[in-house]
Amino acid sequence: MKGKLEPSERQKLIEEGKNLKEALTTLEEDLVKLRDELQIEAQCIPNLTHPDVPIGWEDSSKLRNMVGSPRKFDFPVKDHLQIGKELDLFDFDAAAEVSGSKFYYLKNEAVMLEMALVNWTLTEVMKRGFTPLTTPEIVRSSVVEKCGFQPRGENTQVYSIEDSDQCLIGTAEIPVGGIHMDSIVAESALPLKYVAFSHCFRTEAGAAGTATRGLYRVHQFSKVEMFILCRQEESDMYHEELIKIEEDLFSSLGLHFKILDMATGDLGAPAYRKFDVEAWMPGLERYGEISSASNCTDYQSRRLGIRYRPSESPSTTSKKGKTNLAATKFVHTLNATACAIPRMLVCLLENFQQEDGSVIIPHPLRPFMGGVEAIYPKSR
Amino acid sequence: MALQCRLSGATFQSLKLATIPISSSSSRFIFRTLPKTLNLALFSRHSAPKAPPFSVLIRNLSAPAVAAAPAAETSDIKVVKPQWNAAIDFKWIRDNKEAVAVNIKNRNSNANLELVLQLYDKMLNLQKEVERLRGERNNVANKMKGKLEPSERQKLIEEGKNLKEALTTLEEDLVKLRDELQIEAQCIPNLTHPDVPIGWEDSSKLRNMVGSPRKFDFPVKDHLQIGKELDLFDFDAAAEVSGSKFYYLKNEAVMLEMALVNWTLTEVMKRGFTPLTTPEIVRSSVVEKCGFQPRGENTQVYSIEDSDQCLIGTAEIPVGGIHMDSIVAESALPLKYVAFSHCFRTEAGAAGTATRGLYRVHQFSKVEMFILCRQEESDMYHEELIKIEEDLFSSLGLHFKILDMATGDLGAPAYRKFDVEAWMPGLERYGEISSASNCTDYQSRRLGIRYRPSESPSTTSKKGKTNLAATKFVHTLNATACAIPRMLVCLLENFQQEDGSVIIPHPLRPFMGGVEAIYPKSR
Repeated sequence: MKGKLEPSERQKLIEEGKNLKEALTTLEEDLVKLRDELQIEAQCIPNLTHPDVPIGWEDSSKLRNMVGSPRKFDFPVKDHLQIGKELDLFDFDAAAEVSGSKFYYLKNEAVMLEMALVNWTLTEVMKRGFTPLTTPEIVRSSVVEKCGFQPRGENTQVYSIEDSDQCLIGTAEIPVGGIHMDSIVAESALPLKYVAFSHCFRTEAGAAGTATRGLYRVHQFSKVEMFILCRQEESDMYHEELIKIEEDLFSSLGLHFKILDMATGDLGAPAYRKFDVEAWMPGLERYGEISSASNCTDYQSRRLGIRYRPSESPSTTSKKGKTNLAATKFVHTLNATACAIPRMLVCLLENFQQEDGSVIIPHPLRPFMGGVEAIYPKSR
Repeated sequence: MALQCRLSGATFQSLKLATIPISSSSSRFIFRTLPKTLNLALFSRHSAPKAPPFSVLIRNLSAPAVAAAPAAETSDIKVVKPQWNAAIDFKWIRDNKEAVAVNIKNRNSNANLELVLQLYDKMLNLQKEVERLRGERNNVANKMKGKLEPSERQKLIEEGKNLKEALTTLEEDLVKLRDELQIEAQCIPNLTHPDVPIGWEDSSKLRNMVGSPRKFDFPVKDHLQIGKELDLFDFDAAAEVSGSKFYYLKNEAVMLEMALVNWTLTEVMKRGFTPLTTPEIVRSSVVEKCGFQPRGENTQVYSIEDSDQCLIGTAEIPVGGIHMDSIVAESALPLKYVAFSHCFRTEAGAAGTATRGLYRVHQFSKVEMFILCRQEESDMYHEELIKIEEDLFSSLGLHFKILDMATGDLGAPAYRKFDVEAWMPGLERYGEISSASNCTDYQSRRLGIRYRPSESPSTTSKKGKTNLAATKFVHTLNATACAIPRMLVCLLENFQQEDGSVIIPHPLRPFMGGVEAIYPKSR
């Protein structure tokens, strides 16, 4: 229409232009809707799986290794609830009135023990080059979703805040994952290694049965979590590093445990590979999960938008003129439980109980508890 | 009239609801505890006409009994039922109404004492009427036991039936009256200690001052700048992940928080307090019984969706709840707890420069002291609590003043409140780091915490009955031992050095692996 035209020709072109514009607008709207629907469907696709992961359900999980062996008792073994009652360490009854079931108060030495566990764990992991953090425990629900959880699913584990788009975190993995949301990290900054202490809140909707007594399954608990952001080629290596740290921590405390390579049916959407640690709990007469280490590769980073720019080689950088920037890649993220307090309390109380009703404190924790060596029954 | 049209045969039910007198006072949220069901009542209470005081009795004599219609059908004006009852001493209020009125005024509370007294009177009268009718019904029942003519028997049966219906109606009215009395009376704030200054914030009285502002010979930085330079916190990432007024603590700040909590717990335990950690999700009724308003306008309380639960703003709430609805042995008192918890506050309505950085945040760690004691001892324990705070903050080398807060600043539960304000050189002002309140029996009457004074040996007998002394309400007190963010502000700003480092106070060093200072990191 820029050239010289007869009026009738011009008119025809104007008509044609208008028709094209309307058709285009409609198609563009359809494209947006299609993209949206594609997103929603595609987001459901779980992460890929490491080739060594066994296929199947819980029974198919593979034993990686076992540390220690079950302690032999020459007196009747009590479970942690009974020990806690006799040593006045927790109160579930008052909490049931004040808050509801699966809530609790810790009392007396249990408080000092929790603090010692957190303090010692943070110190040990910091020694290995992790940056300590405390995190918000209220986060936007979008961040929860980007990490691979479903705040509004049926039987959701996530508590939501009324009249807001906020939720309570079930693990520090979420707020730590969010730190570098929507950003490009320099490759030289990787790996970023964080150890975060937070309280965690879980609805435990749908969980029932005897495996939920006492401290084993609760709505609120303290946890120290490790989180790594790294280059793609290195995530397998850091997964091994994380599980090794866990092994060291739990061995130092004198626990007997096994490490499992979880089968495909048990991975959950974000994990490429997941190692679970199950410790022997003599009072419950079974192994109970105390820790989990997952390699999420780029599942979370594609949702959280965390990229890194591989360092340019010196030849492409030039002070004058343009620098050839390498294309960004998605980081890989990993997370691992360094210490989940309630399950750790179950392990310590049940494994280190003595015939006289006392509980021995593992040596590494004593300096963090003012040197206390054991919890003794109180004379009343 | 619209009410009657909506119903098909339950008109008297709707009339019953409509004529219960409804108070018209508004904007009373600030000082009183609101029952959860107030949501609906809020709007209806403002619009309902004030009914004549004796309508209840007049209506009852003329209304036949009807089957109860489902409440949902009936009207816009709903009778509000309190979720729980406070054991309020109405008789005492009536006998001391002048003092109570003056107190309400001094505290700037909108509690409606006149209405409470009216309702109480009506309730007493209604109770008498109910008792009278019960007596008559018993008479009729007794008469029917003897030998009677059929026509006489029939008359008595009729009379009995009428009395029963009238009684049922009156008893229902009595329940509603008691409910409304509860709701109004729960608004009445606690009494005030005679030494408390009357007025607002400016009237608060200085009790004592410890230390003096440090003199700096270099430019003073505020905690935000120090934190940035030493890589101690991140507010920006938290704003993306959670929203404003959230933060991550990093590096030495994490160890400092742990050291503060650990040291504080240890120090207070030495003084005979039992350490606790508490649930941070509690039922909203417990929040209300402690004197907070989960559903008021500008509430400080976060609520959990699809539940009656809330997040705590202070460990005072779950600790207060431990002995809810129970009778404690006098020999067990005082019960002294020191509780560590995270706290969550919406800070709705707070704005301005006084909210920068760590000074006002939505989530923080806090160590709280809580005492339950005998009535005669609460003043003494209030002094003990403020002394502990003074010792703690002096040990850390802080400069602070202790204020006896004026009546306008007390809030409903406190009989007396001491605030500690510490010097924050970066903010160039004193900032509140702690508060110690004596709530006397305000919370315990709502939480239902009593004690039984020990019987004297002469009344206890192995054979036969023991004469139990009447129970009394405990007194409760609460005091902040350590609120981490404000403490961090104080430590960073007061102990900053010219080279950018921050000295760690000696008492905290053993709890931080011996670290003596936070140094700038070379990058």
